[in-house]
Amino acid sequence: MTRTSLGAPLDRVDGRAKVTGAARYAADNNPAGLAHGYFVLSTIAKGTIRSIDAARASAAPGVLAVYSHANPLRLLPPRSYIAQFIGEPQRAMQDAVVRHYGQIVAMVVAETFEQARDAAALVTVEYDAQPPAADFLAGVPGARDPQTPFGHPVTILADGVPDIDAALAASEVTHTAVYTQPPEHHNPMEPHSAVAMWDGGKLTIHSGSQGPALHALDLAEGLGVPQEDVHVIGPYVGGGFGGKATSWSPTLLAAAAARALRRPVKVVTTREQLFTVTGHRTASHLTVTLGARRDGTLTAVKNLAVTTFEIENPASPPTAAYKCPNLDLRLKVVDLDIPRRTIMRAPGYAAGTFGLECAMDELAHELGLDPIELRMRNYATASPDKGLPYASKHLDECYRVGAERFGWSRRKAEPRSVTDGQWLVGMGMATCVLPSSQHAGAARVRFRANGTVEVACNTADLGTGAMTVLAMAGADRLGLPVGRIRPALGDSTLPVAAEGDSFMGAVGSAATSTILSAVHDAAGEAITALIAHAVSDARSPFHGMDAQDVRYSSGVLEGGGRRAGFGELLTTTGTPGVEAVTTATLGEDTERYAFITSGAHFCEVRVHRLTGEARLSRVTCVVDAGTIVNGKTARGQIAGGVVMSAGQALLEGAYVEPATGRIANANFADYLVPVNADIPAVDVHFLDHPDTRYNPQGARGLGELTGTGVAAAIANAIYNATGTRVRDLPITPDKLLS
Amino acid sequence: MRPYTYAAPGTVREALALAGDGSAYLAGGTTLVDLVKLEVMTPEHVLDITRLPLRGVAVRDGALRIGALERMADVAEHPLVAGPYPVLAEALLRSASPQIRNMATIGGNLLQRTRCGYFRDTASACNKRVPGSGCPALTGENRMHAILGTSDACAATHPSDLAVALVALDASVHLASRDGERSVKLADFYLLPGGTPEKENALRPGELITSVSVPALAWAERSTYVKVRDRSSYEFALTSAAVALDLRDGVVRAARVAAGGVGTRPWRLPAVEAALTGAPAREDAFEAAAAKAADGARPLAHNAFKPELLRRTVVRALLELAGRS
Ligand SMILES: Cc1cc2nc3c(=O)[nH]c(=O)nc-3n(C[C@H](O)[C@H](O)[C@H](O)COP(=O)(O)OP(=O)(O)OC[C@H]3O[C@@H](n4cnc5c(N)ncnc54)[C@H](O)[C@@H]3O)c2cc1C
Ligand code: SF4
Repeated sequence: MTRTSLGAPLDRVDGRAKVTGAARYAADNNPAGLAHGYFVLSTIAKGTIRSIDAARASAAPGVLAVYSHANPLRLLPPRSYIAQFIGEPQRAMQDAVVRHYGQIVAMVVAETFEQARDAAALVTVEYDAQPPAADFLAGVPGARDPQTPFGHPVTILADGVPDIDAALAASEVTHTAVYTQPPEHHNPMEPHSAVAMWDGGKLTIHSGSQGPALHALDLAEGLGVPQEDVHVIGPYVGGGFGGKATSWSPTLLAAAAARALRRPVKVVTTREQLFTVTGHRTASHLTVTLGARRDGTLTAVKNLAVTTFEIENPASPPTAAYKCPNLDLRLKVVDLDIPRRTIMRAPGYAAGTFGLECAMDELAHELGLDPIELRMRNYATASPDKGLPYASKHLDECYRVGAERFGWSRRKAEPRSVTDGQWLVGMGMATCVLPSSQHAGAARVRFRANGTVEVACNTADLGTGAMTVLAMAGADRLGLPVGRIRPALGDSTLPVAAEGDSFMGAVGSAATSTILSAVHDAAGEAITALIAHAVSDARSPFHGMDAQDVRYSSGVLEGGGRRAGFGELLTTTGTPGVEAVTTATLGEDTERYAFITSGAHFCEVRVHRLTGEARLSRVTCVVDAGTIVNGKTARGQIAGGVVMSAGQALLEGAYVEPATGRIANANFADYLVPVNADIPAVDVHFLDHPDTRYNPQGARGLGELTGTGVAAAIANAIYNATGTRVRDLPITPDKLLS
Repeated sequence: MRPYTYAAPGTVREALALAGDGSAYLAGGTTLVDLVKLEVMTPEHVLDITRLPLRGVAVRDGALRIGALERMADVAEHPLVAGPYPVLAEALLRSASPQIRNMATIGGNLLQRTRCGYFRDTASACNKRVPGSGCPALTGENRMHAILGTSDACAATHPSDLAVALVALDASVHLASRDGERSVKLADFYLLPGGTPEKENALRPGELITSVSVPALAWAERSTYVKVRDRSSYEFALTSAAVALDLRDGVVRAARVAAGGVGTRPWRLPAVEAALTGAPAREDAFEAAAAKAADGARPLAHNAFKPELLRRTVVRALLELAGRS
């Protein structure tokens, strides 16, 4: 195989379209006859709707319909386990029950967006309210065991150890502390939006999602139509972070309203509505207990996580982090009358590594060890839970290279030792880890008479650069310049694997490795098909030859002294295209090896000695993700994750009013995310050690990696700067006033 | 949004003639349009005043005069402001974002409404928006709320940074109405909430702000605006301090100190100013003076940190000024 493009820091193939505004996101579609939907949200968290008065709204200018449970758009409950667990088991407006504050209780459809919004303000709803359970911390002591197949406890004990508490009791030192973080919201730049239109019984819907096929399945189930009658189109997605992995009521209601009104309907949720009509990341309360010998060797880790969501398990990172003979990792759940939770970038690991990596820093301090040295003394070469050796893990090199690039040796172990004017300066580090995942994806590769190749995969580009990676994967396998590849994704009609989870699309940092293996296999078969066509078509110069005597190289067929580019060949034979569709076979040897992406973060912070603002001043991330397919988009993922995690560490958190269940800061003025001024230059360095036991290209995923560890590195740096250990995120100035 | 009529008068006289019940002036629109969309403000007539000749930054009789329609961005960079009154320029540059500062006007800035989340959410009760409906902030979310000048009816912070700097500098607003023109000290212009939080200032119905003036203060060259916030930029203050120092031979001869993020109106701190006068320019003396900054504070459940943060903010501003050559 010729390595033409993999690894190059290529510009995005869709970059120009995006920055010029030519890229069409879902809401940019304006078909003729378009009507606009706007939602009315509940203003109580628990109870029932006594009455809805839609008379004034219905009479308002331009209003076409006002829907509610009393005048419903019927939606069937989801059947797929994915929607059940990470989405909405209950679709909006199907009954009079209010399950959380900000639930959709009515939908106004009008000729224009403004008319719909203004009429929505005229809908009056009366409730029979009950006091909600909305106080997470109050619920922690009474949290229940999980009930789903997820979140099972992990207990690993060395021979002769009866239970984890015995292992801790036998440890020379222990460290225990509670680490908490408030709910977080994905807040993608593009809110959930949809433009739905029906043609007979068939639905076409423009809607950004992480997995167009799953989105189509959800819609088909909800609307009670066959899946093949739903066509989801969403080539451009303005961010997902897990929030668009499954489908939410706004999209389904757009489709249902379009069906009822027999005209296209657009729905764009507002920023404020997004906080409650789609899912968010659970709050978490994690008790970490580490047991160790005085030399720093870990002897036991006990984690008890409490969340409001069974799928996010902050107790789990020790299954992937350090060598340790005794683990006891448990999750408990608090049931609250609050908006739905769903997966968000690095589920479980984001909050879980904050706790674990702060605890490791605290242990290092107690033992008088350098934080890197403590981590090296517990270096895992095999996965702690399965015991399988890592096929390729170079985290030790990440520590070494990172320390060098960052200047870690200049760090003073004693907190509050370094100042710069009125600012206290500190350094911190943390490990980031994420077990690798990929899916057996399907791809279609089609040689076309115009000399281009369409490479298609049923996944999505959430802004990650997947479209570019798709083109590069095709170019690499076919020996063609990227410019001759036409990547296609974000369309539910593209091929999906018959089995497995690949129809979920871009989740679990799996998109790149899924694309690579799928395109690799499909391109191989497309070459075979091209040769078969060349020898069988009567008009072909290769007609009648034995297929084995025709070779493909860089877009050209050769054999028996004859030679033709595929475009020329297909033109000659009058064939528009020759294609192959395959489902990849995963090459990974999961019986014998474990696979992991890891890295080391180094942060420098400045904290004002009087007023306590913590500002990030330097960041270095060194990452071992196997082969880096595109250095530029990969860097974007790592740096973007640092930005998001800086938000987690210093700014973000929804405040759910305990008495009412209302999110007090459900808007961008009060829910703070980082701005440019918060983020220094981020130094990203990739090791390049292909993990060829994972897939032929040796690439593991990395999209969620910097969703882990960064918050801890920042918290550790703040401790080093100030001597104050904050275990409750976000670390705002008021927490640093000691 | 409720439908409203729109007019764009060309003269002050015309604007005043059109103003009446249910009318609102539109300047940069960065507060008004937001709140109209949220249906927090529901004017029936919108009078676009951006064509009125209320512009110009000039020094007249020693006083700095800024037209009400000057943009925040332009004022911040104006040589008559940035050099002689750094506190004004800094307060402006630490407000909002460049895009908003390019739109927003000085008059509008002084009349911006509180950022209290309940005020901005028509599903909530709020005494300021609907008199007598109650104040959920007192028992609800109140981290950003005021600790000074609050009442049992309202604890909303006045959000303007510029107003804090102007109050420190003893500025006045100049007003025009059909009854004529008048001037009011900015410190007296804003009202305490008391039992009527809906009444925020001394503006009479239909009255226009035409300009703002700042009396001469030579030593305002040594002034600064320190704004403490969670995020480095684009956020309102947790606490802020506008400070000017007359410093000679290591001794404070006179001081101006006002605080933001803490008061229901911009909060001048005369007790701190008095304690600074004659004090040595040293941290311990600054601390002693700043100890009085939060006198009378009534913190709520989520902003109990504000008194201490305010004292430290004042010390920080004083140290920054003392450190300047
Ligand atoms: C996202 C965001 C962040 C912000 N951050 C900050 C910040 O950090 N610090 C800060 O200080 N401010 C901040 N602001 C507020 C901003 O400074 C004000 O919105 C702006 O100054 C208002 O000016 P305007 O010209 O746009 O006023 P408009 O919105 O046009 O008017 C505001 C009000 O004043 C009235 N009005 C305007 N001009 C006159 C006049 N001449 N006479 C009589 N009445 C008049 C209007 O009728 C209206 O009631 C922020 C605003 C936003 C949207
Ligand atoms: S603090 Fe004032 S503005 Fe906020 S809810 Fe109470 S009355 Fe309304």
